[in-house]
Amino acid sequence: MKLLGVLRNCVLAGLVLVPAAHAQDVVRIGAVLPVTGKESKIGSAYKQATEVAVKEVNDAGGLTVGGKKLKIELSLLDDTSDAAKSAQLVEQLMAQTKVHAVIGGYGSQLVQAQSVVPERYGIPYVSGGAGATSIYGRSKWVFGTLSPVEHLAATQMDFLQDLVASGKLKAPLSIALVTEQTEHGNDYAKGVKDYIAAHPGSWKLALEQKFELYTQDFRPLLGRVQAAKADIFMADAHLEDFVLMQRTYTQMGIRNQMITYGARGADESGRQKLGAAADYIFASGWWSDLLPYPQVKAFNARYKAATGIAPQWYHAMEYETVRGLLVAIQHAGSLDPEKIRAALASLRLTESIVPGGVLYFTKTGQSDLPFVVTENKPDGKVDLVWPKNDKTGEPVAPIPWH
Amino acid sequence: MSYGLAVIYGVMRIINLAHAGLMMLAAYVTLTLNTRFGLDPFLSLVVVAPLFFGFGVVLDLTLIRRLPRGGTGPSMQSLLLLFGLWLVLQNLAYVVWGGDTQAILTPYTMSSVPLLGERYGVPLLLVFAVSLASLVGLTIVLRRTFLGKAIRAVTQNRDAALLSGVNAARISAVAFGLGTAFAAIAGTMLSALYAFTPDFGRSLLLKAFCIIVLGGMESFTGVAIGALVLALIENLTGAYTDIPTSFQDAISFSLLVLVLVVAPNGLPALFRGFSRRAVAR
Repeated sequence: MKLLGVLRNCVLAGLVLVPAAHAQDVVRIGAVLPVTGKESKIGSAYKQATEVAVKEVNDAGGLTVGGKKLKIELSLLDDTSDAAKSAQLVEQLMAQTKVHAVIGGYGSQLVQAQSVVPERYGIPYVSGGAGATSIYGRSKWVFGTLSPVEHLAATQMDFLQDLVASGKLKAPLSIALVTEQTEHGNDYAKGVKDYIAAHPGSWKLALEQKFELYTQDFRPLLGRVQAAKADIFMADAHLEDFVLMQRTYTQMGIRNQMITYGARGADESGRQKLGAAADYIFASGWWSDLLPYPQVKAFNARYKAATGIAPQWYHAMEYETVRGLLVAIQHAGSLDPEKIRAALASLRLTESIVPGGVLYFTKTGQSDLPFVVTENKPDGKVDLVWPKNDKTGEPVAPIPWH
Repeated sequence: MSYGLAVIYGVMRIINLAHAGLMMLAAYVTLTLNTRFGLDPFLSLVVVAPLFFGFGVVLDLTLIRRLPRGGTGPSMQSLLLLFGLWLVLQNLAYVVWGGDTQAILTPYTMSSVPLLGERYGVPLLLVFAVSLASLVGLTIVLRRTFLGKAIRAVTQNRDAALLSGVNAARISAVAFGLGTAFAAIAGTMLSALYAFTPDFGRSLLLKAFCIIVLGGMESFTGVAIGALVLALIENLTGAYTDIPTSFQDAISFSLLVLVLVVAPNGLPALFRGFSRRAVAR
């Protein structure tokens, strides 16, 4: 009986110890993404990019942590675009799956909900899908690779200011500013207004209006834009609103010297839905496949070979988010959460595919990287027109209305 | 969209929460007809409307008819069933067409014509024309045909209609089919105006409820008047006041609350009351 008891204890100890030993052989990364539901389009792209980034490292033998090559075990969960479920799944990954770090979701609303969980468990969390500034700076465990939306607006203003400096546009210029009633829209409006306040002689706000997401009729709003007779029309909108607003704008025969819809405009899906009405719209983004860096060209080719599709900004930013986290774990030399967090806070990922070529986080945990500006040209062509040093074509300004 | 809701509510005392889902499904069917066969969205009405009429009849025979009857208002079971149906349709669309934002681009999408000093988009004018034709068609069917008279009889008093020999069950199936066809007509037309996803129609459904409350729930001309009143209020406040246009929905729903308090039977009943009082004086 005594022998049986010893054997039983050995088996039980083995059951406990074997997973513990196994646990040290892998890096457990969790990810909660909106693979289904209303954010599924970009959520699915984020899933694909996450898997590509992890697979690349695993195929190369794993991640070197403290001198040992460790495989990455990815637990990727679908939050169905539901904010409450999203936070609950992050909690599940941290409390039950015992992940070493979490890759956050896509969309400010979902990431906002997720971002309260890491503080409770002391697990590093990196999001590649939320630019709202309010998410960051509240917890030392939360990091994000999308730069603030306010800076997106400021970049567009820098671009316009440069068009004035080059003589293509003539100051002073007035702006009709129309933004969606969301945190994204508010940040965009703040970016434009802060810039105008800093350059009072050159810029004037002729009109500022908000609109609800998925507005059904833009005629009343665009009637005000038309009446304002502004030089520049600046809007910040989701894809659905962008399509309807630009269609109505075209039908109403409104003419401004330059038009932007914030981050919208250059993407293929928007252009297909608008045809020639999308020509000469300029847009800002966190990334462009036109960036002339060797590492971007290599990434474009690698990603296309792995998935069969050309990467969009969301593929690239998620891929680089995962890579940034894995490099930080490597730098930490340990799977200790505090060491990984410290490595993330001090990360400077050089030869990165992001604009500027270096991925890093500010004190709030949010990246502050340069934005790119693209301009649509006729026949489906898109040119990178900002930063000046990286441009692939000359900006056309003002819009040559026919 | 509101005509469909009013037909179904009038005959069956059911608030069709799946209406937005049916409209969304019709938008996707129109998209498929456009991308696969190059069919113009407005021409595809010829296919979509009968198809969805049949679908509505099948839904009535397989689901709606099984709901317990009784009472003068919509039952909790019917609300839950139709809300569930909406979710099923939404998820079906995600599976079949994915979550990408879709839109239909036609040669006239960006075209506009000058009218009364303003420029109006051609698709918008076509939508207006089809809506007007739908109202005229529906009015003729309801006033001039036996089917229409039977629908009106069931709407006014189901028991009396039964005693008069009207097959109320068959009329209910036809009414649900008609309501579904109207949802499909709305979905097809709106697919020519808007970009859409499987979530499409939620806010439009709320506005349609607002319109039928304004119009008096069972009167189709009242529904058209309700739509006109709502559109005028939204556009005029946008054009002639400094109220931010983002308050459009708030104005619509405030009006809904006001009408429910002041004239629960809708604007036409309110106006009838005023004219009766004027005659009495």
